[in-house]
Amino acid sequence: MSLPMILLALAVLGTVSFILSRKRAIASVGGDARRLHSLPTYYGMHGLLMAMIPAAGLLVAWLVIQPLMLERSIAADFPESAIPEGSTIGLVMSDVRRVADALDRVADQGALAGRSLEELEAVIADGGTAMGADLSDALLTAANDYRAARGSLNMIMLVAVFAVGLIGAAWAWKRSEGEFRARNVVETGVLILLVAAASIAILTTLGIVLSMLFETMNFFQQYDWKRFFLSATWDPSFSGRGGGSELGIIPLLWGTLYISLIALIVSVPIGLFAAIYLSEYAGKKFRSIAKPLIEILAGIPTIVYGLFALITVGPMLRDAIASPLGLGSSASSVMTAGLVMGIMLIPFVSSLSDDIINAVPQAMRDGSLGLGATQSETIKQVIIPAALPGIVGAVLLAASRAIGETMIVVLGAGAAAKLDLNPFEAMTTVTVKIVSQLTGDTDFASPETLVAFALGLTLFVITLGLNVLALYIVRKYREQYE
Amino acid sequence: MNDMRLTERAVGTQTTKITARAVQVFYGDNHAIKDVDVDIADKTVTAFIGPSGCGKSTFLRCINRMNDTISVARVEGDILIDGEDIYDKRVDPVQLRAKVGMVFQKPNPFPKSIYDNVAYGPRIHGLARDKADLDEIVERSLRRAALWDEAKDRLGEPGTGLSGGQQQRLCIARAVATSPEVLLMDEPCSALDPIATAQVEELIDELRQNYSVVIVTHSMQQAARVSQRTAFFHLGNLVEYGETGKIFTSPEDPRTESYISGRIG
Repeated sequence: MSLPMILLALAVLGTVSFILSRKRAIASVGGDARRLHSLPTYYGMHGLLMAMIPAAGLLVAWLVIQPLMLERSIAADFPESAIPEGSTIGLVMSDVRRVADALDRVADQGALAGRSLEELEAVIADGGTAMGADLSDALLTAANDYRAARGSLNMIMLVAVFAVGLIGAAWAWKRSEGEFRARNVVETGVLILLVAAASIAILTTLGIVLSMLFETMNFFQQYDWKRFFLSATWDPSFSGRGGGSELGIIPLLWGTLYISLIALIVSVPIGLFAAIYLSEYAGKKFRSIAKPLIEILAGIPTIVYGLFALITVGPMLRDAIASPLGLGSSASSVMTAGLVMGIMLIPFVSSLSDDIINAVPQAMRDGSLGLGATQSETIKQVIIPAALPGIVGAVLLAASRAIGETMIVVLGAGAAAKLDLNPFEAMTTVTVKIVSQLTGDTDFASPETLVAFALGLTLFVITLGLNVLALYIVRKYREQYE
Repeated sequence: MNDMRLTERAVGTQTTKITARAVQVFYGDNHAIKDVDVDIADKTVTAFIGPSGCGKSTFLRCINRMNDTISVARVEGDILIDGEDIYDKRVDPVQLRAKVGMVFQKPNPFPKSIYDNVAYGPRIHGLARDKADLDEIVERSLRRAALWDEAKDRLGEPGTGLSGGQQQRLCIARAVATSPEVLLMDEPCSALDPIATAQVEELIDELRQNYSVVIVTHSMQQAARVSQRTAFFHLGNLVEYGETGKIFTSPEDPRTESYISGRIG
C-alpha cells in the first residue's frame, strides 16, 4: 500500500468516525441537539481528530525511524570482508538500497525467479539503476534481506497505524454523549495544531543555524579563524593541488556592504518619495494604476535584472563615466550591480512604506492641517515620524534582500574578490563566493568547501545584528499613535 | 463672577465675528448643507445641535476650510470672518486655519511629547523668537487648557500617554497655542467620561473670554450649559438660531421643539 493510499484510507476512516460520533451524540439525547453540551459538529470533529491525528503521528514517526533502524541492522549483518577495497559501509548500504529498489521493480514484472547473478545485474542495469560496485553475493543477500524486512515492517506499520486509528475512532465514538465537552476538546486540539505550526517555523530556523554552526566549527578546525576574519586576501586554491588557500572574508564583506550601500542609496529615497506621493498626493485613479505598475518591478526575476546590468547598465556606465574619467575599463562594477539592485529594491521600499503611511490615522492629518500646517509640513513632522518604525522595517527588509542577492552581483559586478574604494572596479560578494565554492566537484572535507558555511554563518550573524539594531532604533525613536 | 459674565455677554453679542450667507455644501451629489445664513458673535460660545447627519459638523468644517481636504466636497456661498471672505482666492487656507483653530471629536494628540504637541503650531508659524519664548507659549497654552499642573513635570513624555480627558485638553492647548481668533470644537466631549467632560466644559467657558468658540454637540444639556447662542440644524437646514435660553425654553419652530423634547432625533 503506497503512502497516498494510506493517507486516503485514513481520511476515509476519519470521515466515517465523524459521521458515527455525530450520530451517536445526537442519539444520546434523543435527537434534541439543544441538550448536547456542544454543537453536533464538534462531536463529529472530535471523532475525526481522534481517528486521524494519533494514527498520522504514528505513521510519520514510523516513516522516519524505520529506514534508520533497518539500515543499521542490515549493516551490522553485512560481512566485513565483502566491503570492496576503498569503499565504506555507507557506500555499500546505498548500493544495497538501490539494488533492493531495482529488485522490487523487477519483481513487479514477475521476472526474478532463478536468474543468475550476471543476468540479474543486466536486468538491474536495464532498469536504469547505476551501481557503485559490481553485484556480489553478499550484496545480493543483503539486498534481499533488506527487501524482506522492509516488506514485513511495512505490513506491521500498516496494521499498527490502522489499529491506532480505529482505537481512536472507537474511543471518540464511546465518549460522544450529551455531557461530553466536545467543543473544548476540539478547540484544545486546534490550539495544539497552531502551537505546532509556530514551533515548526522556530525549530527550522534553529536547525538551519545549528547545521551551519557545526560545519563552521569543522572549518575552523582546519583553518585558523584569525586568518579567516582578518586576512585581506581571498585566494582559494583548489584542493588536490595541495592547500595554501588564503580564505579571508574581508574583501567579500567589503564587496557585499559596498554594493548593498549603493543599492540602498538608490532605492530608499526613490522608494520613500514614491510612497509619499502615492499615499498623500496622488489621486485615487492614478494610484490604482501606478501602484500595481511599481509592484511589477518586484515580480521580475533577479536574473533578468542581472542581464539588464550585464548588457545595458554596465557598458553604459563604463562608456559614459568610468572610461572618460579614467576610473576603470570594466563593464562589471560595484556601481552597476548597486544601481540595478537599487532599482530592484524600489518596490519593496515603496510598497511597504505606502501601506504604512496609509495606516497612519486620518485624525493625525486633520489635527495637523487644522493647526494651519501645510500638507508637506504635515507629512514631514507628523506622518513620517508616526510611520517611522514601519519605514525602518521596510528599509531593513530591502537591506537584507540586498545583502543576500546573488544573481545581479554575478552578472553586474563580476566574481573577482577585491578590496577597493573605486566603485567602477569589479568586486564580488559573500553570496557569490558561497555559490562558487559549492558548485562543481566538491569535497565536503576540505576547507575550500567548508568555508562556504563559515561565510554563510557570518552573513547570518550580520543580518541578525542589523535586525537587532533596527529594533533598538525603532523602539527608541518610535512615535506611537495608538 | 456671574455679574462679570453677564456684562461680557452683553459686550460679546454686539460684534459679529463670523458671517455666513447662503452657504451650500455638496459631497458629490449629496446636498449636505442647504442655504445656511448665520451670524456668530465674538467672545461667545455658539452651540450647533441637531440629529446625526444634519450637517452641523460639515458646516463647522466650512469655517476653517477643512472641507477643502476632502476632494468631493464643494462649498458655495459666502463665509466672512471679520468682514473678509475666507473663500476668496487670495486667502490661503493654511493661514486661515492658524487663525481658526479646531478641536476634533476624538482626542488626536500627535505621537510626540506633550511639549512638542503644544509647540507644533507656534513652530510651524514661527511665533516664537527663541526657546524661552516658545517655553512661555507652551506654558501659557497649557495653563489656559487647565493642563499645566498635571503636565508640567512630564512635558517630555508622549502626549499619547495621557488619559482621554487630558489628551483632549492637550488638543485644546495645541489649538490655543497658535493664538487663534476662533476656536471650532467638533463634539469635543463625546469620547470623554463625565468628569473629563465637566473639566472641558469649564475650560470652554473660560476660553470665551478670548475667543469666539463654536461647538458642535450631541448633548443638549451640554449646549445649554456652555453656550450663549444655539443653532439647531435639521436635514442640512438651519432651522432656528438664537439665545440658548430662548431655544431651549420657547423655541419658535415646531421641529426645534420636537427635537429638544426628544420626539425627533
